Amino acid sequence: MNQFTQLRTGACYLAAVLVVLSVVSLAIKGLNLGLDFTGGQLVEFSTSARVDQAMMQKSLTNLDISDATITASADAQRWTLRMQDTPDQNLDLDILSQQLGVDVQALDSVYIGSQVGADMLEQGGLALLVAAIAIMLYLSVRFEWRQAIGALTALIHDVLIVLGLFAWFELPFDLTVMAAILAIIGYSLNDSIVVGDRIRELLQAKHPLPINQSINLAVKSTFTRTLITSGTTLATITSIYLLAGKPLEGFSLALLVGVIAGTVSSISLSATLPSMLGLDAEYYFRKDKLTGLEE
Amino acid sequence: MKKTINKWHFVVICITTIILALSALPTFYGKHPVVSMQGASVDTELPSISSIKASLKDSQFDVATIRITDNKMFIQPSSNNADIAQLREHLSQDFGKPFAIHIDEVEASPRWLQAMGFNAIKLGLDLNGGVLFELHVDLPSAINERMQGMEEELRLVFQQERIRGLNAEFDADMHINVSYRNDVAYNKLKVILKTKFPDLNIIKETPNSVRLAWGASKLADFEQALMQQSVSIMRNRIESLGITEAAISRQGKQDIRIELPGIKDPQQAAKIIGSTATLDVFSLAKNGLNANVLTNKQGQAIAVNKKPVFSGHNIQNATAGTDEYGIPMVNLVLDSQGGDKMSRFSKANIGQAMVTVLSEYQQDIEGKLKKHSEVINVATIQAQLGNRFSITNMPSAHAAQELAMLIRAGSLNAPVSIIEQRTIDSSLGEENVHSGFAALVLGLAITLTFMALWYRKLGLIANASLVINLLCLLGLMAWLPGVVLTLPGIAGLVLTIGMAVDTNVLVFERIKQQAQQNRSPAAAIESGYQRALTTILDANITTMICAVILFSMGNGPVKGFAITLSLGLITSMFSGVFVAKFLSRLFPADSLVCQKEAL
Repeated sequence: MNQFTQLRTGACYLAAVLVVLSVVSLAIKGLNLGLDFTGGQLVEFSTSARVDQAMMQKSLTNLDISDATITASADAQRWTLRMQDTPDQNLDLDILSQQLGVDVQALDSVYIGSQVGADMLEQGGLALLVAAIAIMLYLSVRFEWRQAIGALTALIHDVLIVLGLFAWFELPFDLTVMAAILAIIGYSLNDSIVVGDRIRELLQAKHPLPINQSINLAVKSTFTRTLITSGTTLATITSIYLLAGKPLEGFSLALLVGVIAGTVSSISLSATLPSMLGLDAEYYFRKDKLTGLEE
Repeated sequence: MKKTINKWHFVVICITTIILALSALPTFYGKHPVVSMQGASVDTELPSISSIKASLKDSQFDVATIRITDNKMFIQPSSNNADIAQLREHLSQDFGKPFAIHIDEVEASPRWLQAMGFNAIKLGLDLNGGVLFELHVDLPSAINERMQGMEEELRLVFQQERIRGLNAEFDADMHINVSYRNDVAYNKLKVILKTKFPDLNIIKETPNSVRLAWGASKLADFEQALMQQSVSIMRNRIESLGITEAAISRQGKQDIRIELPGIKDPQQAAKIIGSTATLDVFSLAKNGLNANVLTNKQGQAIAVNKKPVFSGHNIQNATAGTDEYGIPMVNLVLDSQGGDKMSRFSKANIGQAMVTVLSEYQQDIEGKLKKHSEVINVATIQAQLGNRFSITNMPSAHAAQELAMLIRAGSLNAPVSIIEQRTIDSSLGEENVHSGFAALVLGLAITLTFMALWYRKLGLIANASLVINLLCLLGLMAWLPGVVLTLPGIAGLVLTIGMAVDTNVLVFERIKQQAQQNRSPAAAIESGYQRALTTILDANITTMICAVILFSMGNGPVKGFAITLSLGLITSMFSGVFVAKFLSRLFPADSLVCQKEAL
């Protein structure tokens, strides 16, 4: 038993280290905000034949397009051009086609005014805040405060790790990634709640075991469920990552990392933290005596 | 413990599943693009099928079916890739004016399904291809323009009533400052305000001036009316493009969101929708005071009086025509207010010139909207005019038609700018559909296999409930109005699989534990479902909270994800608990649960 407790506590400290690393990477590199949040123009087009990157760059400069980033796919036939929201810059694909001597076909083009982008960022932040508050309220109703804090800490840990990862590798952070983060919050909570429910059940028993033993037992008995659920969810997310193509790459990556982090944190953080803060069966006993029968 | 197979449960499950499955079915059939033709007025007869065939005989279009329902004709090309816009052009040229010819879509599902009212799921832009515009209506500009108009009206009243000592000035912050020289002037001002300008309130008073502004509720009414007008003008413009499947909605206080699926020429759409042309008619200025100098196409300068005789919003209809000499002209019909103004003006100015000016708002270097005005016609007033008159001597028939269309498209009272624009090629959209569904199928396959292997018979029950779950989810999405499937939405479907499995797993693990505690298999199953319920509810409610928050702040594609997630939670509760429980009771308990199962 002791070994497992040590494992859990060790995992807690590891989680703390990861969180610090994530915060540092966010502070140093910042998030690579996507078009949804910065505003600007994004044009995706395909060329009928391979075009050399230097040649493409030159043609773009000839078209008076500066201050833009152009990236190519592996076969140099699909291109993505991203520019700031300046009123004069406009990519005329017909002229580009003439300059390059190949057929150019428009695939996708997005223009977002910079005000819209700033608004969206604000809304996103607000949404996360509201979600955090709503969840805090819900948790304090269902669990006693130590367990609630444990679950919330696990949540923050998961979100920070995903953000840290995106910041470190400079992966684009757009609206779908934000959607993924909200989904991760849901998942992480699920896991923490399942374990928390079981801990509560054990502590409410007639002759509860000492706290660490209760927690270990709770984790072990929910382990199969956690593994299977995370496993199937990861399998489905991996299918999205592999097959659904570029638009959902950031989304599925965020979910992958988030679900793994969520599973680990539900076992380590949200299970162990309450005991560190002094969780005891006494709380549930007291409640029993005060309110009569607890459900 | 007695096993009860509740007949009512069976009935409810069957009916729900069958209805939702039928609702989901049309989605799998897909849609065909078609051109629809309808008489512009009720008694216009549709052309015969043979005439349509004849018209298309030598063209590139191979017609698969021509169907007529309810006096509306649908012409469907054989290939789904045919350029539907071209087909529409071709038919418009051959059959033209008496008919309203639009681009439309019909479902490929069998007639009996459609007759029951079941339609395919609406696809979002990222799956359908098309264009999205978000427009920002510059309300402050419109209000300022109105204020400016009021300042001039005030001056006019001061002049007419011969009041000395009052001076009205408009400042660009939606205020009018009136300075007065003495008490007499002040009192007269107050009377005028009360009787002729009841909407203006005094918001600040200093010893020799007052500041006037519109009251808050009047302002709100005005803004509301402007927005509604802008939305309906946009609707008209989109109809003139021949699109029927557009989605127009208001976003927040000042924005309008327009989605045009299936458009092949986004540039043209942008031009028409973003057009901010307004038409005004002025009288020629006799002297330099109160005059604006505008130029016409040839660059000549023409001085006009500042205040227009009437404005674009007084024009009810405009059609192109020719006069008795065959010279192109534009016939205008004004509303009653415009008719009055025109009548008074023309009576007093026979033999004088009338200047028609077209103005457009364009973005300058700093991104601000500036008004560019151009004189398009100078005509002489021959006689007193009422609410019907013409702009004669148009340079060409084409110019007349273009002007008529521009006027009909509606002049905007508030400048509109495009703040967001997304174009997705329909081939990319198709690609997204395919890759999305490939992911769905793979995820489903992995899950079904795993559950069958790990939980054996119980696993098969879980699989059955999962399939029912997905069918119900698709059916629900097809049935609810306003629900649109996007690529993140498909991702949401895939995630739903994972969550639905969670529900089943929670139950099954409980059942195993109950069996371990030596309860009979039947009892284990019943109590398994019962005990797992609170945890299932907890888990689903928290995810639901996140989905609802996401729904409120997301835009198109992300909203699709939030909707799929929320609906998926509901259906997985239904199928994972209700349906699975029912199915579990159908089979003998021992075949599902082995008492010797150890963790």
